[in-house]
Amino acid sequence: MSGMRKTSTYTEEDLISGCAHGDREAQRILYERYAPVMYPVCVRYLGREDAKDILQEGFLTVFDKIGTYKGEGSFEGWMRKIFVNASLMHIRKVDVLRRTEDIDETPETGGVLEHGVLEQISSREILDLVAGLPVGLRSVFNLFVMEGYSHAEVGALLGITEQSSRSQLSRARSLLQEKIKQLYHGNK
Amino acid sequence: MVTNDFDQRLRDHLEGVTEPAPDVWEGISEGLERRRRKVLFRRFTVAAAAAAAVLALALLVFRGPRDGGQVEAPVQIAQTDPAPAEATQATDIAPIEEQIAALPQQAMAAVRTSRTVAPKATKVVEPVKAARQVEEEPVETTPVVTKPDVSTPTGEPKTEEPQADEPKHLLTEDDLPADYWTREEASEPSHNRTHTSQISILSNLTTVSSDGNLLYIPSASHASSQSGKGQATTDIEPISASNAPKFYVPLTFGLQVAFPLTDRFSVATGVTYSYLVSQYDILYKKVLYEGAYNQLHYVGVPVSLSYHFVQTPHLGVYASVAGAAEKCVGQRYVFGSNVASEKVKGLQWSAKAGIGVEYWFIPHMGIYFDPSLVYFFDNKQPLSIRTQQPLQASFEVGLRFKI
Repeated sequence: MSGMRKTSTYTEEDLISGCAHGDREAQRILYERYAPVMYPVCVRYLGREDAKDILQEGFLTVFDKIGTYKGEGSFEGWMRKIFVNASLMHIRKVDVLRRTEDIDETPETGGVLEHGVLEQISSREILDLVAGLPVGLRSVFNLFVMEGYSHAEVGALLGITEQSSRSQLSRARSLLQEKIKQLYHGNK
Repeated sequence: MVTNDFDQRLRDHLEGVTEPAPDVWEGISEGLERRRRKVLFRRFTVAAAAAAAVLALALLVFRGPRDGGQVEAPVQIAQTDPAPAEATQATDIAPIEEQIAALPQQAMAAVRTSRTVAPKATKVVEPVKAARQVEEEPVETTPVVTKPDVSTPTGEPKTEEPQADEPKHLLTEDDLPADYWTREEASEPSHNRTHTSQISILSNLTTVSSDGNLLYIPSASHASSQSGKGQATTDIEPISASNAPKFYVPLTFGLQVAFPLTDRFSVATGVTYSYLVSQYDILYKKVLYEGAYNQLHYVGVPVSLSYHFVQTPHLGVYASVAGAAEKCVGQRYVFGSNVASEKVKGLQWSAKAGIGVEYWFIPHMGIYFDPSLVYFFDNKQPLSIRTQQPLQASFEVGLRFKI
């Protein structure tokens, strides 16, 4: 298939340039190349139900702004920022971060995870565990652990205090460890 | 397991993860097509407004000598035939000035045309008769100015006339004012004039750039305008975060009154209300809120000067220049579940130029459409489409009533 050949022969620069000029074929190839990478990012923040909508919205934003990408840093990293922002915007729209039950009603369980347990769990299973966290904990976990923001930055991005960010991250870790344990023992 | 180690191992698991995504290309493709159409429409409207403005300017600058929209001289009015007797049995002759005033324009044009054909006319058509002939008789003959027969067909003066033995004082060339033939046509009343005082109800749409195409660079002017130039600092500050601001189509409604200055120029003023909505990232009490909505309410007073270069009973075409001063009477931010209001100081000044078309579908009521270009000056107003895109194409439509 000619489309397949094109997909494999386009360089990243070709795709970026084509998309910047509104070339629909280049846009389609870029989508096909990066959708499998960006979809899990959306799932991590929103769960599988909403991720599909944000995947579409994120790509529209990418094509809209691709002319502003100056080649500084990795293109994938630049795209991921757009999808993270789109996900956070979606979360903010439904205003779930202001619900304190995420913080107050999530018990701090966890405990020490036995050595080797994490290696027995697949990436997809871990992705689903993260996606299954309450939205506030999930957002803090993603921004702090995956995106590398500080607690002050996470607080500013989510409209919560720095202390609240720390507290939610701690609960997110505990909850994840607990779920990983359950999954590990269930798989055995 | 140590916390940092746990985070790192989770990161290792999740960072490289890929999985087949649901197929949303169709939706993306449709979205791209919608955006493309929006961009095309915007470019078209801006180009159309610019072309209209250029055309209006060209019409104003390169307008040829005016013919005053006069009806072509009806060559048929002057007859060599002797006038019927009853036509000459006129009542008392009116003073010359009244005769001139009553002289229908077509007749006078014909007389004038005749004069050029036969410069030294010996006879002059009696004005009343001439007018009647214009209305009634299609004539093929060469125009010749004829002298009316002041007597009865038999040539005998009428006995009932008080001064029958004196010749009647009929309109001749000598009776006309000295400057009659050189007088500017513009000073003559126009039968087609529709240019009268008017009142207009208007609404206005302005084009905006597509979402995200504008890169917002925070400037001190926006912050200072909201904080009231040195007063207590505001809690809200627009910031340049990862999201480009979005601007929604501004809406304007208004009421205007227009007055004629001359038969071609008119001036208009009134009051307008404009509503602007933007969406951008803000810092509120040092906390970032993405996509906060900003609503601005402006009340303004525009003043415009129009030149009417086409005026018919049903259609008018004109070019206008205008200026407006607008005061922001309300500013509101909506973000999440929060709502905050802030005062805005100063005035927004703008200048506008464009052309307009009006159609009078009944004598005293018509519709109009004014495409124009508007420029909003930098007056330290809050961030909006006006500060980000000062030059805009504007499309004003409305109803007009003659008063």
